[in-house]
Amino acid sequence: MSLTGYKRSDGRWGFRNHVLILPLHQILSAAARDIEEQSNGAVAVSHDWSQMVEKDHERLIHSLAGNATNPNLYATILLRLGTPIEDEVITRAKSYGKTKLVEISLSDFKSLDKLTQAGVTEANKLLTEANNEQRVAAPFSAIVLGLECGGSDAYSGITANPALGVASDKLVAQGATSILGETMEILGAEHLLAKRAITKEVGQQIIDVVARYEASINYEGIDIRGAQPSRGNIEGGLSTLEEKSLGAAKKAGNAQFTGVLEYAIAPTKAGLYFMDTPGHDIEQLTGFGAAGVNITVFTTGRGTPTGSAVMPTIKVATNTEMATAIPDIIDLNSGTIADGTQTLEENGEEIYNLILDVANGQLTKAELGGHHEFNLSRLYGSSDKLISYARSIHRT
Amino acid sequence: MSITGFAHKGRGVGIRDHQLILPSVVCSTHVSRKIANEVGALTFAHQNGCGIIGIDVPGVDNFFIELANHPNVQSVLVVSLGCETIQGPELLPKINQELSRLLVIQESGGATGTYEAGVVQAKQLRDNFKSEPKEVERLVVGLDLARNVENLAEIKSALTASGFAVEIEDKKGVSEHNLAKLMSKKVHIIFSFADENQPPSGFPLIPVINIASTSPLHAALSAEFDLLSDVKISEMIELLTKVCQGEKTKSEVSGIGEIVAPRAVRSV
Repeated sequence: MSLTGYKRSDGRWGFRNHVLILPLHQILSAAARDIEEQSNGAVAVSHDWSQMVEKDHERLIHSLAGNATNPNLYATILLRLGTPIEDEVITRAKSYGKTKLVEISLSDFKSLDKLTQAGVTEANKLLTEANNEQRVAAPFSAIVLGLECGGSDAYSGITANPALGVASDKLVAQGATSILGETMEILGAEHLLAKRAITKEVGQQIIDVVARYEASINYEGIDIRGAQPSRGNIEGGLSTLEEKSLGAAKKAGNAQFTGVLEYAIAPTKAGLYFMDTPGHDIEQLTGFGAAGVNITVFTTGRGTPTGSAVMPTIKVATNTEMATAIPDIIDLNSGTIADGTQTLEENGEEIYNLILDVANGQLTKAELGGHHEFNLSRLYGSSDKLISYARSIHRT
Repeated sequence: MSITGFAHKGRGVGIRDHQLILPSVVCSTHVSRKIANEVGALTFAHQNGCGIIGIDVPGVDNFFIELANHPNVQSVLVVSLGCETIQGPELLPKINQELSRLLVIQESGGATGTYEAGVVQAKQLRDNFKSEPKEVERLVVGLDLARNVENLAEIKSALTASGFAVEIEDKKGVSEHNLAKLMSKKVHIIFSFADENQPPSGFPLIPVINIASTSPLHAALSAEFDLLSDVKISEMIELLTKVCQGEKTKSEVSGIGEIVAPRAVRSV
């Protein structure tokens, strides 16, 4: 199957050509939503950042600047107050990619009404420009795939996750990039993943980020192995964190790990990566969006409707019962593997084909439903200085 | 001074008659907004309800309960997903049972089924249970002191002399934490003194009257403040009276101000 996309001047590829409305202060979130509603198809996100310099300052700047320059965007309209800290986001965004950035400042327009009107006018102008762009033939290296799971159940590890692994392996072999996230969800399986690292150093990095993660939770006085799997997971039939992790890690197939990425940071060459993200679905999506992921596959056992403003998000059901009960949020059913009507390889091939179809423009259920969830992820200082501590406690 | 508000059985007497579509988890915020937009209710985007641990679990839980039980709220529709940490069926009994309903996306036909059922239920809650007018016995006025206010003592004594109760939150910097705490104290209305380097703020359930400072940012954004820095206390009370009688504040008109739940621990 051939692949088409939008070639960006910075060398990256997009599979959508969105105009994003990104508020740079939480009080501009309402205006961003209004502009989305009144424009001819711009997408907006909301968040709660108030421009205070927090412990997580760098993480927040990466998240905002990275999403502003996701390759699926033709342009981003940055709604700002006119404060200096906003320049930090904009400068960083310019260093990440050549996405067209348009600033609209409340200090210039004086009122939110006028800012909103200006935003709608600008968005519609940019959308017209975007519509004049043509898709062109793209190489498989254009794909930066995000691997995610949420609301896992006992089927996740035997149906949807390994089937997604089949698709991921095939794409990585064809030169694509694939990113596995959710550190909590590999806790207990990190040694198996480390063995698949391209070098010893990368393997050690996998062990280290998991140990750092566990230490950051211990730092809060909480035993993660007691807090997970979640109640929803238990109701879905999962008994231990290790069982959840062994299943979750199967999304990454059997390919070698090329590297480990910090949250929201883009890979610099093709291959399979592990990114240190929370398991929180939306914090993970925000991290992927910031890292330049241009398509995400999200496996789910219980069924969740969420999506991203910047990336098409394909929902794969782990079981037929749920896929049948809530078809409006599920794109593809891997429950057929457990039903015995499809092999793992056949279902994996189906996911692979759907990834290409969606990359080529087919809309996902989350896109049709208008889902643009977005969160800024914070560590509240818990993870910054724990690597040496983590190394001292991790199990080797 | 006599102020006529809305009798909200179990919640108290409010000066607003809001219906709240309360998403118990980030995953249901979009469906909640669609329902709210259709029926003219309030809702908010947030990133909580799942992947939270430690003190954030009771913290966020309590925050949602306090929002749902605020006197300015007429009725509540909780929209949950089903597999999240804060479980809708457990949250509902902790909210005032009067005029509170619950929908679970995973059990209500997905996003579409939940939206359709939500619109029907929200309209029923609204239309079948009209709030009766009732005098507000003791109006509670919140003061958000995100910046220092020189004539605070005079403001307090003028409000007290008018028969109002006064609650103060004075964390400097951003207003959102003060606003959340004032909500917990069930204030009916808030005077917000934003930090000099912060814009005016808002809190969808509670009318917020923004008073500008003399800072360059506030001068540039003066059109979005209800009152300017040289306002007299008598003018503050005059506007407060009008807002209690139904006049909308600027932040109510523009809809600004994300509701931010208190968080202290990273998500897992």
